Amino acid sequence: MSFNLEEITHDAARLRKEIVKALHTTGGGHYGGALSVLDLLITLYKGVANIYPEEPNHPMRDRIILSKGHACIAQYCILADLGFFDVSELAKYGSFNSFLEGHPDMNKTPGIDFSSGSLGQGLSVGIGMAMALKNKPVHTWVIMGDGECQEGQVWESVMLADRYKLNNLTAIVDNNNYQELGWAQNSEGIEKAPIPRISEKFASFGWNVMEIDGHDFNIIHKALNKAKEFKYGSTAIICNTVKGKGYELFENDPIRFHCGELTELEYVLLNN
Amino acid sequence: MRSEKLANSCGKYLSQLMDNDSAIIVLDGDLADSNGAIYVQEKYENRFIMCGIAEQCMVSMAAGFAVEGYTPWVFSFASFLCYRAYDQIRVSVAQCNANVKLVGSHAGGFTGRNGKTHSAINDIAMMSSIPNMRIYSPASPEDTEWAVGEMNKHDGPAYIRLPREAMSSGTWKLGSWTWITKRTSVAIVTTGLALKIANQVREQFKNLFDEEIGIINTVAIHPVPQDLIEELNNFVDYVIVIEDHLTSHGLAALLKCHQLKCKIDQFGWPIDYMADSGDYEDILKHSELNPEKITTHIKNRYAFNDNYLAR
Repeated sequence: MSFNLEEITHDAARLRKEIVKALHTTGGGHYGGALSVLDLLITLYKGVANIYPEEPNHPMRDRIILSKGHACIAQYCILADLGFFDVSELAKYGSFNSFLEGHPDMNKTPGIDFSSGSLGQGLSVGIGMAMALKNKPVHTWVIMGDGECQEGQVWESVMLADRYKLNNLTAIVDNNNYQELGWAQNSEGIEKAPIPRISEKFASFGWNVMEIDGHDFNIIHKALNKAKEFKYGSTAIICNTVKGKGYELFENDPIRFHCGELTELEYVLLNN
Repeated sequence: MRSEKLANSCGKYLSQLMDNDSAIIVLDGDLADSNGAIYVQEKYENRFIMCGIAEQCMVSMAAGFAVEGYTPWVFSFASFLCYRAYDQIRVSVAQCNANVKLVGSHAGGFTGRNGKTHSAINDIAMMSSIPNMRIYSPASPEDTEWAVGEMNKHDGPAYIRLPREAMSSGTWKLGSWTWITKRTSVAIVTTGLALKIANQVREQFKNLFDEEIGIINTVAIHPVPQDLIEELNNFVDYVIVIEDHLTSHGLAALLKCHQLKCKIDQFGWPIDYMADSGDYEDILKHSELNPEKITTHIKNRYAFNDNYLAR
């Protein structure tokens, strides 16, 4: 894996457009979360993880689980770009005759290491994989949403991973500060963030924690490599991101675009 | 001849299978000394993973192991496994067709002192209504060993439900189902612990009315074996299902999904049964599964001399 900042920056910009195009073509979707996770995901795939597009089940590949499965259009765009399958499939995302399911399906899509869609399960699956792979030069990466970390199962997993000191497991949290509705519209007195003090929470469970700008490719790259090298247990990389990153329309309305539709006019204006 | 808790039969036999099958690992939710997994922990400590009181994590973990080529066996009480971790079983295991084996001990409505929270009387309903899942319900230590062997050979999800009460060795031919007795046209179809009750009904019928009621013991209950349906259609006029499960959503319901020619009556737990604490015999005496109740019902329903159902 070689990391080229200029290349990744251009790739990300290009794939942002692909995400918006694919979602709009197929009737709308999770714009916000797909755009917030893209930069960290593309840095992982193109800059750090060992992957084999020509052999999706290569035994020595890094395992990548997008536990926040609703953002999978971002993952699909990256996988297509890497050659796991043809780009033309993206226009059929979530359609009846497509192998691109609305949420990742490992039995249908090349390059998906585990299915997801019911939040909170991916980290546990990652623990199983990491334990199974403990003597191999393979790293398991689980990408979660911050809202997803409200699920109790996540903390069952965080506790157990700490107990077993799984240094070949890294959780990456797309901390975009929103969920679907949550408390964003609440008046004073109630914290709005999906997981307030998220870094402290992971750290208090014994994890190695880094909190970074989730849109700075250099920093993401460094953090991912540091996580891979950390030998004393699991690492959580809290990536502070912007929901809907890259488009003012989405960034300004994270609730509408958690899962929403664009009008034709909005789509045209976005692309100009 | 043995009389033992089937959870122990399961754990012991699995640990034997592990001698020659390096893919098997066991995950436990902090109940190993009650659910049979302890035998694996004692023999193969490095293939036994304590997951703590975290069933959801444990089940999804097992799925992760399964896709990496292991055959994970997940142990807990049936209630906590099936109910607490149901979404994980549905999504991580069943929908993915992950090769995970689920062991639910303490299944059924006889919970001893434990009481209602520890009962599992609709686990068959829940596990039979998700994709790719097989269900086994043994009635003896030998049945259990057969079922464990079958589950391990099968590439895909499977669930075995084991009662809390000890069960005795049987002398019947092992397999997915079998006649415990000779074939009769009025027969009890039963599974698991309810075989004990079926035997009592059969004996009562013999003593009181000098009539033979045969018993079919069903170990592989989902999918229902096709040849069992054929046997019932060819040879049985009247089936009485007795099961340690909700009567509306268990083995009887599964049988009824098929084109059955015979009449069926069913005995089990009613939906509002809440498995209060109590001794097996006390609970049995006061429940719908009381053998005398069942015997009386059958006698009123079927005119044996004329071979027809009274109403």
